[in-house]
Amino acid sequence: MSFFSKWSSQSSTKYIKLIYFSFLCLYLITKRVYSATEEVIGGEEKVITRYQVAKFNFEHVSDVYAITLWILLGSLAKVGFHLSHKLTEKFPESCLLIILGLVVGGLLYATKLAEQKAYVLNSDTFFLFLLPPIIFEAGYFMPNRPFFDNIGTILLFAIANTLFNTLTIGLTLWGFSFTPLYGGTEFEMLHCFVFSALISAVDPVAVLATFVEIHVNDMLYIVVFGESLLNDAVSVVLYRMFDAFADMGTSNILPVDIVLGGTSFLIVALGGVLIGIVFGILACFTTKFTEHTPVLEPLIILTYSYLSYLTAEMFSTSGILAITFCGMFMKQYIEFNISKKSNATIEYVLKMLASIMETIIFMFMGLSTISDHHSWNTGFVVVTLISCTLYRIIGVIIFANIANRWRLLELKITDMLIMSYGGIRGAVAFALALILDESKIPTKKEFVTATIAVVFFTVFVQGTTIGPIVKYFKIKRKEIEEPTMSAKLTNRLIDHIMSCLEDIAGVAGKHSLRDKIRNFDRGYIKPFLLREKFLSRDEKLLSTFKKITEANFNKMSENPSFMFQSSQSMAQLNTFAAYRNQSIGNLISSGTLPFKFCDANNQWLTETTTVPDFQILNSVPSKRADEDAEFHHLLDNAMYDARRIQKIHKRSQLDEEIDPFEKNKRNAKKYGHTLHHQKPVNLRSIIEPMGGKKRSVSSFQTPRQSTDKQRPKAKSSEPRPKIENEKTKETEKKKFFIVTTEENNSDQSFNTSTQSPASPANLDTNMPPPPWKTSADDEEPVRASMPSWANNPEYTIHATTSKPEDKTRKNLFDVFDQDAQKK
Amino acid sequence: MGSSNSIVLDRSEIDDIAKETNFTSGQIKRLHTRFTSLDKDNLGYLRKEDLSTIPELNINPVRERIIEVLINDYGIDGRLNFKQFARVLSTFRRKTGVTGSNSVDSKLRFIFDVYDRDKDNRISRNELMSILGMIVGDNLPDEQMNAIAERTILELGLPLETGITYEKFCDCLKKIDIDEKMSMKFLA
Repeated sequence: MSFFSKWSSQSSTKYIKLIYFSFLCLYLITKRVYSATEEVIGGEEKVITRYQVAKFNFEHVSDVYAITLWILLGSLAKVGFHLSHKLTEKFPESCLLIILGLVVGGLLYATKLAEQKAYVLNSDTFFLFLLPPIIFEAGYFMPNRPFFDNIGTILLFAIANTLFNTLTIGLTLWGFSFTPLYGGTEFEMLHCFVFSALISAVDPVAVLATFVEIHVNDMLYIVVFGESLLNDAVSVVLYRMFDAFADMGTSNILPVDIVLGGTSFLIVALGGVLIGIVFGILACFTTKFTEHTPVLEPLIILTYSYLSYLTAEMFSTSGILAITFCGMFMKQYIEFNISKKSNATIEYVLKMLASIMETIIFMFMGLSTISDHHSWNTGFVVVTLISCTLYRIIGVIIFANIANRWRLLELKITDMLIMSYGGIRGAVAFALALILDESKIPTKKEFVTATIAVVFFTVFVQGTTIGPIVKYFKIKRKEIEEPTMSAKLTNRLIDHIMSCLEDIAGVAGKHSLRDKIRNFDRGYIKPFLLREKFLSRDEKLLSTFKKITEANFNKMSENPSFMFQSSQSMAQLNTFAAYRNQSIGNLISSGTLPFKFCDANNQWLTETTTVPDFQILNSVPSKRADEDAEFHHLLDNAMYDARRIQKIHKRSQLDEEIDPFEKNKRNAKKYGHTLHHQKPVNLRSIIEPMGGKKRSVSSFQTPRQSTDKQRPKAKSSEPRPKIENEKTKETEKKKFFIVTTEENNSDQSFNTSTQSPASPANLDTNMPPPPWKTSADDEEPVRASMPSWANNPEYTIHATTSKPEDKTRKNLFDVFDQDAQKK
Repeated sequence: MGSSNSIVLDRSEIDDIAKETNFTSGQIKRLHTRFTSLDKDNLGYLRKEDLSTIPELNINPVRERIIEVLINDYGIDGRLNFKQFARVLSTFRRKTGVTGSNSVDSKLRFIFDVYDRDKDNRISRNELMSILGMIVGDNLPDEQMNAIAERTILELGLPLETGITYEKFCDCLKKIDIDEKMSMKFLA
């Protein structure tokens, strides 16, 4: 196994290069044949030939073939890049994709295999097909809480900073046209402003591609990314405004036009948001009724969001804003309406689409560079570059200081540096440059060249160096150094403490805007948008649970004094409990469960059973037999996560949720050994024969994440057999749960349960609901206060001190299986 | 200030508290609203039961300990009046200097007190175990928790019996930005 991995890593790059090359050739050949067949078709006469058994019919599929091949090429490229760690460390993916595009573009240009129109970035294609999925994915996975926490800053930057940049860059560019720097080319003022409008907007695609890889802290990421999303409205308005002005001519512009331009901004921005939310509402409402057609749910979501984009563009408002807010809105409600599988599907499809489109965009940029649209004007390009960088820095400094007046967490100098450095321009600017009308703006070619220059510079230079700069300035990264166990423990303790205190202090107070919105939401929106039978989903869960436990009971009904627990059913119960934001005891007492539960000491679970918070870490234990590392990991793995920890999701990895089994397969390949277990591991604290402590129901998971926890193999395997031998059946039984159903036939199994202490019987009837419980509370999942992408294991891999390589994983189910065999 | 039973705040009290805690009067009023909403029986002070019934705390594993700390350390006789309430919360404002109730040192002290319940100014192994037990829950068996607790103390270079002193405690938390982690935004 290890040999294989070694071999593959060494020659993988060579291997992949070979594949590329062959695909590249295939692609070029198809292009060649395509253009060749086009010529041939022209002058044929009707000649009767014998019946052809097989034909080579290329033109039938040519276009689609080329596109598919193109997508495949891009995906393979990405796969290849990630195989080579060295490359991905130094360069962001976007760079490599652009280079690939450049190579192919160069080949096509040189060999004149295809018409340039065929492969230069078509703005329509870009704006209608390539851009929406990326933006939707960004909006759907946008962490709402940090976003709205920082909304003031984001808006300030999106609007004011972009405006500032546009005006200053435009003025500078125009100013320099009076100097001999431009070599005589005339740049009119309004044309300069059109250009500056399109060049000053930070690009969400590029920012996403770069920032995600460098792991800055979430606040910084949100601010830059939010800015890049929201400034679309501004740049669209400015672009159109100056374009129209350029049409009218400088002398014809009246002040009223400028005012109209300002109002158009409001319409563009607010209109876009409104359209997005309207479609979001429609989508959520529709999903209310899709109970019986779950397969349609992802399709519905996608079509509604795409429609929102198109509708917004139709009304000349900002499509980007529309689809962003549509996604953000949808996320809140749709999750509860659609089935779990649909949720997973949506997530996966969105990530896939966004990934593909991003790949294509960057490749296209490279490809389109090699075309005839250029006119290199050194002076212009240089001035553009310098002014872009300079004014970005100045703008960030000014507005960050303004924002710091009201921010709790001030933006420090290093933050400002990252923000200005992270102002990467990308494909949006390029696409906008390409659709300039050359008849109206004669200097279009210079603009295109300059745009490409800026885009390349920002993506390559800034994108590549931002990682080292972040490291150099020791920007607060997502990982926190936790060198000692006490620090680690205390760190987590602090999170819990602050969570607790915040709740006590009611810091998000009753009268704050957030709470008002939440109340409104709970009172009106949720009932309208969410399914009537909120319980229907839960019932399904329960019935599955019931089936499993019944099956379990039937299995061991021959031994009435013995019971064991199925981890899966417990896991589901825990999930259910987490989902309803109640402790298991609450659920029982409120009568929503047809089961009774008691822990291993025959104590019925009551409301005071503390149900801890989310699970965490997939931190993997180190192979080193070093005790230290092992303890660290033991601690890491076992600690509950506090509510305050919030993480950003990564495009390339799913939130670890659906299939821990799959994950283990992946890990098996990664770490070079196979794992034994065949069952999906859902729960963390499954029966652990060593230790012998009684266990009550603990550790639950939200539906969004399950971690499969593995313990370090090294230490625990030794004491385990010893302890097991010492154990009698009695003590083993003590660790298990007694699950009863009320309608179960095999009554013998439940003798002990009926003889249990009086409390269970009392539990149902006498326990009053806790005073704070209202029916509304039942529907508020814990997640409401936290973005659902939280606890992304991606984060926690960085949070531990161990190396990601060479691990051994203890197989938890070995334990379980051995126990089962013993029975 | 003889006001432990009053429901309504008057100006002098607000000024008093403001002087002591450096909250703005808006923040104090808001805290008072919160206080009164928690104080369901209108007693003018909070008891353990009042704090335990906050629904969001249900899932917090350390809530009992925190409530205990609040009531016992900052209140008198199991009662926490508003002034004390405001005082303890003022620890979690962003720091405005090296000294004061919201300094980094006060924050660290708070955490230390969460650990150190017998007030001997050191965190013994048992105290560590109990906190560990809360945070880890039933995910680890007793022996492992024990081992982790011992390891934690030994890792800092201290003998097992003494436990972790306050100085060592602060020392090992140097790399964590305590002020940022332990600040709350108080709305006015």
